Amino acid sequence: MEILQLLISGISQGCVYGMIALGFVLIYKATEMVNFAQGDLMMFGAFISFTFLNLLGWPFIPGVLATLGLMAALGVLIERVLLRPMIGEPPFAVLMLTIGLGFMLRALAGAIWGNKPRALATPFSGGVIRFGELVIGYENLAIVAGTAILCGLIFLFFRYTRLGIAMQAASQNQLAAFYVGIPVKRIFALVWGLSAIIAATAGILVAPVSLIDPLMGSVGIKAFAAAIVGGFGSLPGALLGGLIVGIAEQFAGLYLPAGFADTSAYLILLLMLFVRPEGIFATLQRKKV
Amino acid sequence: MRFVLKTHYGQDVDLFKHSGQRFWYAALAIMVGLAPWIMDDFYLGELSLVFIYAIAGIGLMLLVGYTGLVSLGHAAFLAIGAYSHAYLLGHGVPFPVALAAATLFSAVIGAIVGLPALRMIGIYLAVATLAFAIIVEQVLSHWESVTGGYRGMPVPEAELFGLSLMGSQTFYYLCLALLVASLLAALNLLRGPTGRSFIAIRDSEISASSMGIHLARTKSRAFAISAGFTGLAGGLFAHKLGYLAPDAFTLLTSIQLLLMVVVGGLGSLHGVIFGAIFIGLLPQAIAFLRDTLPPAAAQIPGLEPGIFGLILVLFLIYEPLGIYGRWRKIRLFFDEFPLYRSATYRRQKSYLRTERVR
Amino acid sequence: MTERLFQAENLSVSFGGIRAVQDLSFSVEQGEIFSIIGPNGAGKTTVFNLISRLYDLDRGRMIFEGDDISGLAPHQIAERGIARTFQNTELFERETVLNNLLIGRHIHRSTRLLDEFLFLPGVRRQELEFRKRVEDVIDLLDLQPYREQIIGNLPYGVRKMVEVARALCMEPKLLLLDEPSSGLNPEETEDLSYWLEDINEDLGITVIMVEHDMNLVARASHRVLALADGLALAVGAPSEIQNHPDVLRAYLGD
Repeated sequence: MEILQLLISGISQGCVYGMIALGFVLIYKATEMVNFAQGDLMMFGAFISFTFLNLLGWPFIPGVLATLGLMAALGVLIERVLLRPMIGEPPFAVLMLTIGLGFMLRALAGAIWGNKPRALATPFSGGVIRFGELVIGYENLAIVAGTAILCGLIFLFFRYTRLGIAMQAASQNQLAAFYVGIPVKRIFALVWGLSAIIAATAGILVAPVSLIDPLMGSVGIKAFAAAIVGGFGSLPGALLGGLIVGIAEQFAGLYLPAGFADTSAYLILLLMLFVRPEGIFATLQRKKV
Repeated sequence: MRFVLKTHYGQDVDLFKHSGQRFWYAALAIMVGLAPWIMDDFYLGELSLVFIYAIAGIGLMLLVGYTGLVSLGHAAFLAIGAYSHAYLLGHGVPFPVALAAATLFSAVIGAIVGLPALRMIGIYLAVATLAFAIIVEQVLSHWESVTGGYRGMPVPEAELFGLSLMGSQTFYYLCLALLVASLLAALNLLRGPTGRSFIAIRDSEISASSMGIHLARTKSRAFAISAGFTGLAGGLFAHKLGYLAPDAFTLLTSIQLLLMVVVGGLGSLHGVIFGAIFIGLLPQAIAFLRDTLPPAAAQIPGLEPGIFGLILVLFLIYEPLGIYGRWRKIRLFFDEFPLYRSATYRRQKSYLRTERVR
Repeated sequence: MTERLFQAENLSVSFGGIRAVQDLSFSVEQGEIFSIIGPNGAGKTTVFNLISRLYDLDRGRMIFEGDDISGLAPHQIAERGIARTFQNTELFERETVLNNLLIGRHIHRSTRLLDEFLFLPGVRRQELEFRKRVEDVIDLLDLQPYREQIIGNLPYGVRKMVEVARALCMEPKLLLLDEPSSGLNPEETEDLSYWLEDINEDLGITVIMVEHDMNLVARASHRVLALADGLALAVGAPSEIQNHPDVLRAYLGD
C-alpha cells in the first residue's frame, strides 16, 4: 500500500518534471537552442496565475486563460529581444544566455512578488479521493490529467497542423526551411510562446502542491536531467524521463540515506550517460564529413 | 602600427613577441609587486581574491575556451580543492604539501569526470558536469565526519616559511606567486603540442582524431588540468573564506566562474585576468549600488544573481568576444586609424543543419 | 617489383539498409597515385571514412604495410602514417595556418606533459624542429603569404591547400585526398596537379585520391578505380577506365 502511495506521488511529481522537460525538448527540437530558463518560466507562470486568481480574484477559467496568454506573450518577447540576435551563434553561447535569463527572471519575480512563499488556491485544492487506505489529492489528479491532455494536444499539433509540421521542418534544417518559404524566425517566436504556455500550465498545476516562490524554478534542473534521460529531442521520451526521475526520487527518499532523494535525478542521469549516452530515445548523431 | 621582423623561428616560440610587450609586462609586475605598500588591507584582500579567481579561471578557460568543453560544475572542483586542503591542514600536513595534494586530488577527480566526456556531445557534457557538481554539493552536506556537513568546517591557520598566512601581505604575495606560476604553466602548455591538441579538439574533433590526437585521453587530460588549477584556487579560496560550508560552492558559483571566462573573453588568457577583475569587483559594485538605490529596489531578493544574469546576457549578445575582444578592437582601431574596417571581427554565423536525425 | 602498401579486402558497410560499399577489394602499390572515381553517392568518401576508421566495417579487412588495421582507432591510423583531407575541409577554423600545420606534427611529438608545463629546453628544441618541418611544407605549397592568417578569413581554395599541407606535415606514408580540386579554379587545379607530382615523386608519398575532375585524374594518377553504387566497376590505367563500357554506362546511363 505504501509502495502504491509512493508510486502515485512519484507519478504526479514526475508529470511536473515531464511537463518542464517537454518545454525544453520543444525548444530544442525546433530551434536547436537549449533553454535553461524553462523552470523559471514555470515559476513566472505560477506567479502570474497567483496574481489573477488570488490577488485579483478572477474566476478560475478566465484567470488561467489570461495567464496562458500573458505567458505566451512573454515567451515571444524573450525570443524576440534576447534569442533572435543569437540565431546562428554557437549552442554554448545560447545555453549561457538562457542561464543568465533564468537568474534575471528570478530577480524580477523577487522584485514584483517578493521572496515570501505563496500558496495558490484553485478549485482543485484540498480535496482527496480515497481508495481504501490509498489517499490521492485532487491536485495530484489534476497534474496527471493536465499532463495527459497537454501531451495529447501537443501530439495532435505536431502531427496534423501546418504550423506544427513547419516547426519540425525548421528544426531539421534552418536554411532549407527558410528557402522553401517557412518563416523560420516567426516559427521560433511561436515555439517560445508555446513552450512558455507549457511552462505556465506546469506552474499552475504544481502551485497548489508546492508553494510558489522565486526559487521554485530550480526544479527545472531536475527536469532537464529528465529530458536527457529520455533522450533530449524526443517528446514522449521527455515525459518518460520525467516519470522515471519522479518515481525514483520518491523511493530514494524513503529507502535510501539522506541526500539521495535530491541527487537521485542526477545519479540516474550520470548512469544513463555512461550506459547509453544517447538516451532512451536516441536522436543524436555524429557530424558527417 | 608595429611590424615585427622575424629573423628566427624562436621568436614565434617565445612568450614575448617584442620589446614593447616586455616593457609593459615589467611595469605591471612592479605595480602589483608594490601594491601592499600602497593599498590598505581590505583592498589587498580583494586583490588576492581576484588572483584566486584568476587561477580558477585559467583552469576553466583551458577547458571551455581552448578545448571547447563546457563545464557547468566547476564549483565542485573548487570545493574539492578547498575541502581536501583544509582537511589535510587539519590533520597536521604542512601547508605546501597539503596544497599540492589538494591540487593533485582535484586533478585526479577531474580526469575521472573527463573520461566519459568522449562519449558526450555538447549539451550532454554540460549537464553531466552540472549533475556531478550537485552530487558533490550533496556529498559535502552529508559526509559529516569529513566535511562537517551543513555546519561546515573551519580552515586551520597555516604557516609558510614561518610566516602566518593570516597576514594579508603574506597571503597576497602567495596568491600572486601562484597566479604567475599558473599563468606561465598555462602559457607553456598552450605553445606546446598538448595545448595545440586541445585547440584541435575545440575546432574539429574528426579532424583532430585523424591528425593522431587521442580524443578520450586528450579530453580527460584537459579536464584533469582544468580541475587541477581550479583545485589549487580552491585551496587558496579556503584560506580566504576561513570557514567552509557547502553553500559557498553552489551552481551560482559555477556560473560565476563561467561568467568570468565569458565576460573576460573566451579563448585568451588575458580574458581570464579581465574576467577575474570583473567578477572580483562586481560584488563591491553591487554593494555600492544597494547603498545608492532606493531601499525598495535595493532589497530585491536575488538582486546579485539577477545582475550577474543581466551582464552575462548583455555580453553574449553585444560582445561575445568579451572584454579582451573589445580591448583588441579598440587597439586595432587606433593602430589602423583611418583604415579600420568594422567587419574585421565580424562574427561568422552558422545556420545549422541539425546533427540530430530522427 | 613494386611493394604493396595498402590492401582492401571485401570492404562492406551499410547504413540503415543502404549498402554504401559492397565487397570492395583493391590494392595500392607503394609509390603510386591511385584515384577513385564514380558518380555522386557511389561510396567514394565512405571508402575514405572506412580507411581512417571513422566508420566501422561490417565485413572485410584492411591491410596496411602487412598489418591488419581494421580494428584500430582513428588516431592510431594517423600514427601508422595515413593522413587525409576532407571533402569540405575540416580545418581548425580559429587558428592561424601556422598552428594548423603544427597540429599536423602532433604524431611526431616526443615531449611529456610535465616537460611542456615547464617548457624545458627539449620542448623548445622540438618546437623549433616542428617549425622547420612546417616551413618546408609551406615552401613546397607556396603558402607563405598566409602563414599568420586565421583560417576563417581565407578563401576556399587556400583552405583546401592548407589542408593538404597539414596532412603533409604528418609526413605520412599514405595520403588520402578527398576531392582536392573541388572548389578550386582552373589555375589552382593546374597547380594542384604539379604539386601532386612533387608530393608523389619528391616526397615519395603514396596517394589515394577521390576526384571528379577527369582531366586531373587522367594526368596525375597511375591507376584508377571506378565505383558505382558501392560496387567496384573496373580498375586500370586512366585511359582504360575512361573508355570502359561499364564506367560509361554508370556515368551516362544506358
